[in-house]
Amino acid sequence: MATDQTPLVSIDKLRVEFRGEDGPIVGVEDVSFTIAPGETVCVVGESGSGKSVTSLSLMRLVEFGGGKITGGRLSFSLNGKQIDLAQTGSETMQAIRGDEIGMIFQEPMTSLNPVFTVERQMTDGLRVHRGMSRSQARERALELLRQVRIPEPERRLGQYPHELSGGMRQRVMIAMAMACEPRLLIADEPTTALDVTIQAEILALIDRLKRDTGMAVLFITHDMAVVAQMADRVVVMYRGRLVEEGPVERIFAAPQEAYTRKLLAAVPRLGEMRGKPAPEPMRLVGEEPARAAPPPADAVPDPLLQVSNLTTRYPVKGGLFRRTVANVHAVEDVSFEIGRGQTLALVGESGCGKSSCGRSILRLSEPTSGEILLDRTDIRALSARDLRRRAWRDMQMVFQDPFASLNPYMRLRDQVAEPIRNYRIETGGGVEDRVADLFDRVELPRAFMSRFPHELSGGQRQRVAIARALAVNPKLIIADEAVSALDVSVQAQVLNLMMELQAELGVSYLFISHDMAVVERVAHRVGVMYLGRLVEIGTRQQVFENPQHSYTKSLLSAVPVADPTQRTIREDLKFRPIPSPVFPLDHTPAPSVYDAIAPGHRVLRGDAGLGAD
Amino acid sequence: MSYLLNRLFSMVLTLFLISAITFAVTNILPGDVAMMIMGTQSNPEALAGLRESLGLNDPLLVQYGRWIGGMLTGDWGTSLVFKEPIAPLLLQKMTASGLLVLFSMTIALTCAIPLGVWAAVHANRWQDTAASSTAMLGVSLPDFFWGIMLILLFARGLGWLPSSGFVDPADDFGGAVRHALLPSLALGLGLMAHLTRMTRATMTGILNQEFIRVARAKGLNESTVVWRYGLANAVGPVMTVAGLQIGYLFGSIIVIESLFNYTGMGWLTYQALLNRDIPLIQASVFVIAAVVMLSNLIVDLLYAVVDPRIRLS
Repeated sequence: MATDQTPLVSIDKLRVEFRGEDGPIVGVEDVSFTIAPGETVCVVGESGSGKSVTSLSLMRLVEFGGGKITGGRLSFSLNGKQIDLAQTGSETMQAIRGDEIGMIFQEPMTSLNPVFTVERQMTDGLRVHRGMSRSQARERALELLRQVRIPEPERRLGQYPHELSGGMRQRVMIAMAMACEPRLLIADEPTTALDVTIQAEILALIDRLKRDTGMAVLFITHDMAVVAQMADRVVVMYRGRLVEEGPVERIFAAPQEAYTRKLLAAVPRLGEMRGKPAPEPMRLVGEEPARAAPPPADAVPDPLLQVSNLTTRYPVKGGLFRRTVANVHAVEDVSFEIGRGQTLALVGESGCGKSSCGRSILRLSEPTSGEILLDRTDIRALSARDLRRRAWRDMQMVFQDPFASLNPYMRLRDQVAEPIRNYRIETGGGVEDRVADLFDRVELPRAFMSRFPHELSGGQRQRVAIARALAVNPKLIIADEAVSALDVSVQAQVLNLMMELQAELGVSYLFISHDMAVVERVAHRVGVMYLGRLVEIGTRQQVFENPQHSYTKSLLSAVPVADPTQRTIREDLKFRPIPSPVFPLDHTPAPSVYDAIAPGHRVLRGDAGLGAD
Repeated sequence: MSYLLNRLFSMVLTLFLISAITFAVTNILPGDVAMMIMGTQSNPEALAGLRESLGLNDPLLVQYGRWIGGMLTGDWGTSLVFKEPIAPLLLQKMTASGLLVLFSMTIALTCAIPLGVWAAVHANRWQDTAASSTAMLGVSLPDFFWGIMLILLFARGLGWLPSSGFVDPADDFGGAVRHALLPSLALGLGLMAHLTRMTRATMTGILNQEFIRVARAKGLNESTVVWRYGLANAVGPVMTVAGLQIGYLFGSIIVIESLFNYTGMGWLTYQALLNRDIPLIQASVFVIAAVVMLSNLIVDLLYAVVDPRIRLS
């Protein structure tokens, strides 16, 4: 920390406007803060807070998105002189971009050019800024790839982005941004699209590069846990304005502003539920506390859903006649139960089979084998007609993206009414009353009934999706990453709503999520999935407080904790890449064998071909 | 390799279907080959004798088998109108039309790509409106309109280029180019309009992608960002649309070649239809279909070259 030096960057009363249909829209207003050399400043805020606009203004990239800097100074110390980036000509800006200031973006899948090799993309900046020859630039690129610890760097140079994994691509991005040894690295949500173990590696990498090179880092994120792990100083933004600024310990320990307190309160912190038997509502400052909390887990649960030896495989087609040439083993010999009025969370990283598992239970993906009993009804034995008539009335699904799962051309009233009419829950005027009740239930104004999805915010849309799921009085709701796309305060509200509905209606949830801190808060029982298998299952306390499987342990160790006094992001975290779940047709996987640790706590024996030790 | 086999297999299947449909349709038409040879006023007995000797009394399936067998072994029959063997005739006319397709495609692409990129870079500004309106004009007006305008301007008015006729490039290359230029322009204008709109749409999407922002953040200058990082991603989609347009070109060619009295494939097909030259109709349709499919196959194979994500295995 070097806060007493001359700042590298000082932003003074920045104002950015965007072209709107009815005149200019203010994107950022009256934002001032500084970044000292060698310092990490985290800008944190929810969507629409202007945090990305601020960073793009520093690069003067905001202009390419229709924005315009209409006020303020962006002082940057260049060759011992202070220049105002807001007034700098485009040629000087090109010389600064990529040389003095490097930038990493959120989406490693889309931030590399798909039709150019890694080498070409890594070297063109070096050739422009450093005038290097092709072979010199190649040497430097290799050196950079080694610095970001990419295995087999020589081979990577000749590869195209689609041949690399997400984590690897983000490493290439970082290497690219580091190419000319910038004095400022801007990282705009660099780990948001990544799995938690890869996030831990990337955060550790950025932190090490910062210490090794002495560059300053401007880190943009919405995730308070990441802030706690990375920041020296924090800038909190809300609706285009700066709310609060200060050292990370102070912001977390003694936030001054109401908004900061509210934001921090809504963040679940892994470990804070230690010793508590039942799920608890999320904290919300300045709003009435949740009406009811779910009951604790029963010692002997009354099972609503019993899944035994569920296996789902997807065929991989190929060859002249599109024959099946291999199988994706998406779900492999998975067994669990969900008690009435309880929540089972399935956690795991992308590709572990947790979503396939949820879809298989509804038979949206047809299982290959296994048994699914819902209230003693054999779901797999039902005809397509009975599945639609009976099973889907008892089980409903809420998806991740509420914008994609609502029909943009239908009024919300009609979308919520649709299942009510289809299942003849009500008829005639009763439908309207039922829809109005459901809107009350999910705490949406009744006036919203005649609106269209685009007129609502993300959280409001997800409430509509929940109302629609509740319309048929289901016994089980499968929530697939249902709060992952929401801002943290909205996420807390929606989670509380789900918990209230559980307490009042006795509905069960299969809560599919990648977010361990949220799961710790809402689940009665937790199942950890890896490569299609359930590696560990138990009550929340058993899994979180006494994890047994090595994968559960490494997953928990990778979760950033929203507490700057507990920095767990270290370079020595080594996570194995997840192997491919594609197997030849004749492959017969070993059955899942579990060791009972305690009543209700089972752990997969050995690695069963998982590659985990 | 297995991709290529797959494609060739489906191409053969499609060609087989096309041949069957063409054969069936030409047999439903009133008047058969014997009638076309002898004329409507001919002696009924002589007509019956010719029918017998041509095998026209055999079941349709047998006739079809004989015809497709001939097509496969290189015996394509003789044109009734031109009194010539069909295979060399088609080859010659296909070369003439190939020149038109090549020219018009070159003209269209060299204009459409810069114009489309320019419109995309200035999306929703006056440059975009200007380019899009011009393209719209090209799309909405039929090819023969442009043909007539071009004849009026360059042949009648300025007298720079001949208004009609065809010269074999083997005899006089310069002459061949001059005769091909106006019909190619007429064909190319409509094509260019389509491709401009396609390039604009593709590039607008690409320029909003994150990797373009990353390229700018690396300090690359704007022309590198647009013309290298951007355009490299647009080549594939634009090429595919251009490939599909070859099929439409063969439709337009019938009108344009007749207008310019350019004796290529389109002109030939028109003559064959006009004179009910059944063997020639059958063979022409078959060849045009094969050429269109083959050119699309080549375009798809080229896609793998410009886009490494496409694996043709």
